[in-house]
Amino acid sequence: MIYKHGALFHCRYKPDVINGDMDSIRKEVLDFYRSLGTKIIDKSHDQDTTDLHKCITYIWDFAPDANKSTLCILVAGALGGRYDHEMGNLNVLYCFSSLRIVLLSDDSLIYLLPRTHHHEIHIQTCVEGPHCGLIPIGAPSRSSTTTGLRWNLNNTEMRFGGLISSSNIVVGEKVTVQSDTDLLWTISIKKL
Amino acid sequence: MLRLQSIVLAKAKHFTVPSPSSLRLVKKRMIAMDLMHHSSCFLLPTIPLQRRPSLTTAQLHLCADGGANRLYDEMPLFFPQEDASDVRRRYKPDVIKGDMDSIRREVLEFYASLGTEIVDKSHDQDTTDLHKCVTYIRDSASGLDKSNLCILVVGALGGRFDHEMGNLNVICRFSYMRIVLLSNDSLIHLLPRTYCHEIHIQTSVEGPHCGLIPIGTPSKSSTTTGLQWDLNNTAMEFGGLVSTSNIVKEEKVTVQSDCDLLWTISIKKL
Repeated sequence: MIYKHGALFHCRYKPDVINGDMDSIRKEVLDFYRSLGTKIIDKSHDQDTTDLHKCITYIWDFAPDANKSTLCILVAGALGGRYDHEMGNLNVLYCFSSLRIVLLSDDSLIYLLPRTHHHEIHIQTCVEGPHCGLIPIGAPSRSSTTTGLRWNLNNTEMRFGGLISSSNIVVGEKVTVQSDTDLLWTISIKKL
Repeated sequence: MLRLQSIVLAKAKHFTVPSPSSLRLVKKRMIAMDLMHHSSCFLLPTIPLQRRPSLTTAQLHLCADGGANRLYDEMPLFFPQEDASDVRRRYKPDVIKGDMDSIRREVLEFYASLGTEIVDKSHDQDTTDLHKCVTYIRDSASGLDKSNLCILVVGALGGRFDHEMGNLNVICRFSYMRIVLLSNDSLIHLLPRTYCHEIHIQTSVEGPHCGLIPIGTPSKSSTTTGLQWDLNNTAMEFGGLVSTSNIVKEEKVTVQSDCDLLWTISIKKL
């Protein structure tokens, strides 16, 4: 049941688009947002991609070319819950490695550092850190190098089953990363 | 939470034999791989009214550092009619191990006073607290029957993402041990590439949503049976196909792969 107060709240924070295979959204929720003008994109015929993947594709197709290079997509609620969902969402970062996509949870922030670039990460110390990590989840790294961390990497190998950089600490306001493989960067989000 | 299961390791041999026309080569190729069985019996209730495994049936209870805070704070919530201290005494860990940078002082002192062994590894900053605990079980725990060992880890998922990845890495590093990570929603364990795997699904407590994740290395070839979307010598890698949002269709799932895979399956709500 949606009370009048709740309805006003939901009107102010309505999504522009709902996209996916529609197997999770409740009917009354769908009807409510549709009645407010939210665009409903039913991709139930497509069982080969996750709902997040469908949304990213929509954004990419929808965004004007002029804005694509500065596009940043924030994804809330992508972590926790079913673990296969979480892995599917991490995979979306790899599938769209040319896009800036940031996964957010209550505790952490994650995004991809593509191997094709040298990275400078400017730390917003009032809201993030100090705990961080660099994760070679897709493929091993023969050589990764960082600055700005408590335990820096120096042409260091990383792989699952061996060393991965977790429980690391940011020591300055700038971290640099260079690697021969795509890495996930993760940093803790400070509690309010 | 920690109930050891008995594990059956059986041997199976798979033969491929050339067609009659090429028999003159007199070359038989045998692919012999051990079979590993998996079953989440530890999720089944020990008595009809319970829906979660009994803590008292495990051989050993360990807390990894701040895990002791969780145990201390949350066990009394399961028994609201009882005195919190009585509950805490009944469910005290045998060992608390780690670098001790998370456990609260009063929690440490409470369990130490009850006889819990405290293993302070604060000098070791190269391994995670979970890694230290698994090493303890493997090397130090005396009087433990290690022949059919299965380690259940509660609280390894969620929270800080780098912690979660560190915990996944522990099961990859100890790939020769059975270690199961549990959350409220999912169960995860490793399927080492050196075995053919048979996973016996306990349909009353797990499924149907599942996934197979090529953690850390791409897979050139994986094959399954028993899933809605089976793999058939299929390549999997991050950036390409990863088997997620799959569905268990039968009570037995088989998996064979050229790389270590993470198996994950949903846990049914009570």
